[in-house]
Amino acid sequence: MASVILKNLTKCWGDFIGVDNQSLDIQDHEFLVLLGPSGCGKTTTMRMIAGLEDPTDGEIWIGDRMVNDDLPKDRHVAMVFQNYGLYPHMTVFDNIAYPLRVRGTPKGEIEPRVKKAAGQVELIELLHRKPKALSGGQRQRVALARAIVRTPRVFLMDEPLSNLDAKLRVTMRAELKHLSRELKITTIYVTHDQIEAMTLADRIAVMKDGIIQQVGTPDEIYNDPASLFVAGFIGSPAMNLINGSVQDGYFVTTGGTKLVAVSVPDKPDVVLGVRADDMRISEEGEGDIDARIYAFEHTGEATLLTVQWGTQRVIVRGARHLRKEQGEIVSISLGSDHLYLFNPDTGKRIRG
Amino acid sequence: MRDNTLKYLLVLPAILVVFATAIWPLIESLRLSFTVGRFSVPGSLEQYLGWENFAWAFTQEPAFWNAVRVTAIYTVLTVGLTTTMALGLALLLAPGGKFRAGVQTILILPFAMSPALIGVSFRFMFNPEFGLFDAFFGVLIPPLADVSWLADPILAFAVCVMADVWGWIPFLTLVLIGGLASIPQDTIEAAQVDGASNWRVFKDITIPQLAPVLAVVIILKSIFSLKTFDQIFMLTNGGPGTATQTLSHYIYFNGMKYGQIGYAASVAWLMVIPMIVLAYAYTKFVFRKD
Repeated sequence: MASVILKNLTKCWGDFIGVDNQSLDIQDHEFLVLLGPSGCGKTTTMRMIAGLEDPTDGEIWIGDRMVNDDLPKDRHVAMVFQNYGLYPHMTVFDNIAYPLRVRGTPKGEIEPRVKKAAGQVELIELLHRKPKALSGGQRQRVALARAIVRTPRVFLMDEPLSNLDAKLRVTMRAELKHLSRELKITTIYVTHDQIEAMTLADRIAVMKDGIIQQVGTPDEIYNDPASLFVAGFIGSPAMNLINGSVQDGYFVTTGGTKLVAVSVPDKPDVVLGVRADDMRISEEGEGDIDARIYAFEHTGEATLLTVQWGTQRVIVRGARHLRKEQGEIVSISLGSDHLYLFNPDTGKRIRG
Repeated sequence: MRDNTLKYLLVLPAILVVFATAIWPLIESLRLSFTVGRFSVPGSLEQYLGWENFAWAFTQEPAFWNAVRVTAIYTVLTVGLTTTMALGLALLLAPGGKFRAGVQTILILPFAMSPALIGVSFRFMFNPEFGLFDAFFGVLIPPLADVSWLADPILAFAVCVMADVWGWIPFLTLVLIGGLASIPQDTIEAAQVDGASNWRVFKDITIPQLAPVLAVVIILKSIFSLKTFDQIFMLTNGGPGTATQTLSHYIYFNGMKYGQIGYAASVAWLMVIPMIVLAYAYTKFVFRKD
């Protein structure tokens, strides 16, 4: 078990910069999620920690040792690959036993440890099968068992759930969370799925274009986004982004509607971010602004209203039992909490 | 015309060609192997001997056993050396890199040469008076300068093996590069992270996954080595003495040079036995259900 520290880590391929001079401290026992769209450098960062990719510049520390020049086998990390990377010619038992065997674990110890790991992911009755004869979820478990059978200093997981169907993904997500709390091993987890990131992480590092945009707890990332990108990337439905300006202490939309009081100095170009959950719906005339319902969706646990005034559309989450028709006029109000203002040119948050 | 009749009519020419060029000669050679079959004796092509030709090869012909021995050693050496070196080259070329495409193109050149030409050019290169090797050794290792390579039984055999290995490495390398490329990179990286050294990755992960391709390569090369003829014919013509006389060469000599076509046919049919075994193994690997 160990902390992982990245110091000014850079990876280039010719002119293309995959990871751009990034630093990150990951605490011992921490579950850190690297989150970002594809091509943002999150997998490259993980592969550099594993030793599968050489950094162009910068340092990687695991515990109190700089591991830049160590081979993957000497870094004592365990990795779960997106496509699992199971050995097709070996049985499940041999797959799980492989890390023990190559590390010269005494013969007598191997079987009980493999059985214990297999038990933790409920694989006991499949030990004699070959990977080909397993379902996606079962293969995923084998990959997990192979990672937990030894006690690595760090777990690395590269989109481990992305090849599973939606239902299985939710189950496996809970199992991963349970397992990580039980094993208490530093984990770095790469995903592009913000729900996975929110549910699993102690801290999330949001990446884009090779740069870490923000590092924080899921709560901080969700409730205090540092930039337009983070605000738009986290949350479902995505945060509403409304173009406008600040005049006399009020946010005014580009269409000229005076929407809500804000506590920042006047500024011509700003973007107001507000989440679907942070707006209230009331009858026509009762709220801050009246708008026509563009679409009404019922998701089961809530309702989603897309409303429109002028050319501006926003999504508002309504109560479970709310029933409205397309075309009806409702009124929405924005609380003064949970409003985020951004500079549209730099994407940076404007704080009051 | 009914479709059914038409479809048979359409394949008929092909069937006739195959019959005339492959099946009929095969049957005819089998028939000949049971006859006296000497070109110099009129009527001997219809004079049946039963199994006597076969018995003759086994009991009365040291030259037959010599050819069997030469062919066996030649096959084991060429298959072993070619496969090992091709695997080494494939591993060097597989990870990619700037020169790979160019190297691959150059690699195929020796394979584009006809085996007879390879034989001729190696004979030239080992010529004791104006050969390339002679010139090399004259400068680099003077004691070897005057060695007459193709006149020494063991050296001549070594030169034959060398020429064959040189000619076959490129093709087998290309096949193995293809095989290596089909191994999922994930499994290799997983093994590296699991703690395996490069050697263990190669032994535990690469080789088992490459095994089907490797088997096909070994079987194919065995078949080609067993039937080697043209290269040896041009390079040493079986000599000195019978030091490099393979079975094919022995069959050719008996049939065409000595006119003992019946006896030659029976030895040829003896050679069919290992060929069938290899061909069966080959089809099993190539068309394996997995």
